[in-house]
Amino acid sequence: MAEPSIEPEGRPALAQSKPAKFVSPKVVAVYGVLTALTAAVTYASYTPFSPTKGYFNLGESMVFFSALAFGWRAGMICGGIGSAAADILLGSGIYAPITLVAKGAEGYVAGVIGRLRGGQLWAVVAGIAVGGLCMITTYFVGELLVLNVGLGKALAEVPINVAQVVLGGTIGALLSYYVKRSYPSLAAA
Amino acid sequence: MTGGFVDLFTPADTFLHRLDPRVKIIAVLLLSVLAFILSNLDSLLLLLGFIFLLLFLARATLSRTLFALKFVVRFMVLIVVLWPLFDPSGTPVLAELGPVKITEPAIWRGVTSAVRVGCLATVWYILMFTTSQRDLVRALVKLGLRFDYGLTLAISLRFLPTFGVLIESIKDAQRARGLELSKGGLVRRSKNYVAVLVPTIVSALRTADTLSLALQSRAYGARADRTYLRELSMRPADYVALTVLVALLVLPAVAKFLLHVQI
Amino acid sequence: MIPSIVSPLHEGKVITIRNLKYVYEGGVTALVEVSLDFKRGEYAAIVGGNGSGKTTLAKTLNGLLRPTSGQVLIEERDASQMTVAELAKTVGYAFQNPDHQLFCSSVEEEIRFGPQNLGYPEDEVRKNVDRAVEAMALGKLRAVAPLSLRLGERRRVSIASVIAMNPEVLILDEPSTGLDNEETEELMAKLKVLNDEGKTIILITHDMRLVADHAKRVIVLSQGRVLLDSDPRGAFSDLDLLRQSNLQPPAVTQLAHRLVERGIPKDIISPQELVFQVLRAGGIK
Repeated sequence: MAEPSIEPEGRPALAQSKPAKFVSPKVVAVYGVLTALTAAVTYASYTPFSPTKGYFNLGESMVFFSALAFGWRAGMICGGIGSAAADILLGSGIYAPITLVAKGAEGYVAGVIGRLRGGQLWAVVAGIAVGGLCMITTYFVGELLVLNVGLGKALAEVPINVAQVVLGGTIGALLSYYVKRSYPSLAAA
Repeated sequence: MTGGFVDLFTPADTFLHRLDPRVKIIAVLLLSVLAFILSNLDSLLLLLGFIFLLLFLARATLSRTLFALKFVVRFMVLIVVLWPLFDPSGTPVLAELGPVKITEPAIWRGVTSAVRVGCLATVWYILMFTTSQRDLVRALVKLGLRFDYGLTLAISLRFLPTFGVLIESIKDAQRARGLELSKGGLVRRSKNYVAVLVPTIVSALRTADTLSLALQSRAYGARADRTYLRELSMRPADYVALTVLVALLVLPAVAKFLLHVQI
Repeated sequence: MIPSIVSPLHEGKVITIRNLKYVYEGGVTALVEVSLDFKRGEYAAIVGGNGSGKTTLAKTLNGLLRPTSGQVLIEERDASQMTVAELAKTVGYAFQNPDHQLFCSSVEEEIRFGPQNLGYPEDEVRKNVDRAVEAMALGKLRAVAPLSLRLGERRRVSIASVIAMNPEVLILDEPSTGLDNEETEELMAKLKVLNDEGKTIILITHDMRLVADHAKRVIVLSQGRVLLDSDPRGAFSDLDLLRQSNLQPPAVTQLAHRLVERGIPKDIISPQELVFQVLRAGGIK
C-alpha cells in the first residue's frame, strides 16, 4: 500500500527539492550585522549629541574595518549598503546612490590592497589611501556630473572627505587590530 | 529608548500605504529620472509640489517632514550660495571681485539645481514613510533580489536600532571609566573611539554567531523554491498608479527629446 | 538591631540626594521626589522591579543622567557642576554587561584605562592598578585578553577597571547576572573586603538572596519612588509591600512566613537563622 502523501500536489517533496545555493548562514549573519553596524555608527556620529556634531562621519571607520577584517567582499557590500542606508535614514537619500558606489569602491579597494602580504602596515596604509581616493573621486565626480550641484559645492566637499579618510582610516585600522587581538575567533573568519 | 533612532515608517491607512511596495519603488525611480529630465525652474517647482502633495496624502506629519528636510535644506542653501562663485557665464554681471564674477543667470542655475536636489532628496520619503521594512525587503526580492541577499538586508535593518542603543550604552559605560570622547588631538580621539567601537563590534559579532545558529536551526537554505505566508499581489489600483507614473515620465520625455520643447 | 560596622573614622555623608526628579526625553517619568543619603562605608542595595527607576537613580549619581530637578551632592559638591570624568573619581559604576566596557588586549591594559583617562601620574596609576588586581584576584590573568575569559572573570575585570580609579563609592549594576553560585559568592567575598576597608558599596539588583546575604540597607524603589528604606530584615517582613514593587523575598523568608503559626518569626533572612528558630520551637512535627 502506498504511503499517503502529505505534500500538496504539484510541489516536490522536501527530499526531492534541491537545496538552495545560498551563501552560508554565517555569511548572511555576519554581513547583515556589519551592514547594520556601519549604518548605526554613521547615524550615531550624526546625532546632535555626538562630539563630531555631524561634521565627521565615523561610518568611514566601519567601512575600513569591514574591509580589513573580513575582506573586500564585506568591505564593498557592508560598506556600500550600510552607508547608503544611513544616508536614507539621515534624510540625505539623494546621496544614497553615489554613496553606494563611493563607499562600495572604497571598501573593495581597501580590502584588496589592505590585506596584501597578510595585511602588513604598508598594505593597510596603501589600502586606506587608495580606497579613500576612490571614495573622494566618486563623490566629486558624482556631485559634479550626476547631481550637477556646481563646482563650488563639489569642491567644498573634498577637504572634508580627505579628513574623513584620515580619521576613519586610522580608527578602522586600529579597530581591526584590536578586535582581532581581543576576539581571536575573528582571525579565523 | 531607541538610541535616537527614527524609523521613518509611520503606520497609517492611506492610499499610499496600501499601494504595492514594488510600485512605490518604481515610483521613486521614475520621479527621480523625471527630476533629471526637467530643466526649467517652474517645472521642477511643480514636481517638488507634487512630491509634497504625495507626502501630505501619506499623512506625513509636519514634524516628520521637517526632520526629513533638515539636512536637505542645508544642502540646498550651500548649492545656491556656492554655485554663482564658480560659474561666471552669462549676463548681466551683478558683482565682480577679482577673478570671481557673479552673474544673474548663474544664480538662477544654482536655484534650479537646488530645487532639483530638493526633489531627489524628498522623493525617497514617499517610499520610506509608507512602507514597512518587511514589505520593502519583500518587494526587492520580488523585483529580482536573491532571497539570501534579501535576508541579509532584512537582518541589517532589524539590527540597526538595536545597535544604535548598544552604541549609546557602551558610550555611557566607557564615560563611567573617565573616557572623554571630545578631548584631545586626532590620535587621542581616534583611540577614544576605539574604546567605544571595539566593544560594539565584539558584541555585534557575538550576535552574528547566535544568529547564524538560529538560521541553521530554522532550515535556512533547505530548499531553493521557498514559499511565503503572505504573497505580494498587484491590485487594479496598483496598475492604475503605475500607468499614471509611467505617463508622468513618458510625456515630458517625449516633449523634451522628440519635440525639443524646453521644459 | 545589627551593630554598625562603620567605624567613626569613615562617618559622614558621601552622597546626598534631595528631591530628585528625572523625566526621560519622551516624557516618561522615571524618578519622582527621591531623597536619600549614603554614609561613607555603607553597604546598601537598591532594589525594585523592571522600570522601577533603580538604574536611572544610579546613573544620576555619576552624571550619566542629569536630573530634571532636584539635587545630587557628591562629597558635598554639586554633581551638576561636575563632568562624568570628575564624578568617576568618587563614584565608580560597573555596568551590568562587562562586555560593554572591555576592549583592550590584556587585563592589565584594561584596568589601566580608567586611571589613565583621569590623568593620574604614572606611579599612582601603577599603585591603583596593583590594588585593583589584588582586590579582584586577577594576578594570574594580567597578561590575558579579557574577552577570552569566562563571564565571571570578565565581570571581575570590569569591576577592577572601575576600582582602579579609586572611587569612594562603588555602584554595581546586577553583579550576579549570569554567574553561578560559586562565582557570585567569590565576587561578594571580595566586595566585603572592599567594604571593610571603608568603601561604600551600592548594589542595584533584583536578586533578593544577594541582598539578604550581603547588604546592610535595602532601598525599595517602585515607580520612581522610595517605597521603603530599612535593613534587610525589616524590608523582607513586609510581603505586601514587596509584591507591590514586583519583588519576591528570598525563599527562606517566604518559608518563615508560612511557619508563622508554628511560632517562627517573620523577619528571617538566612537559613542558619531558620534552622535555629525551628530547633528552638521544638522542631517541626
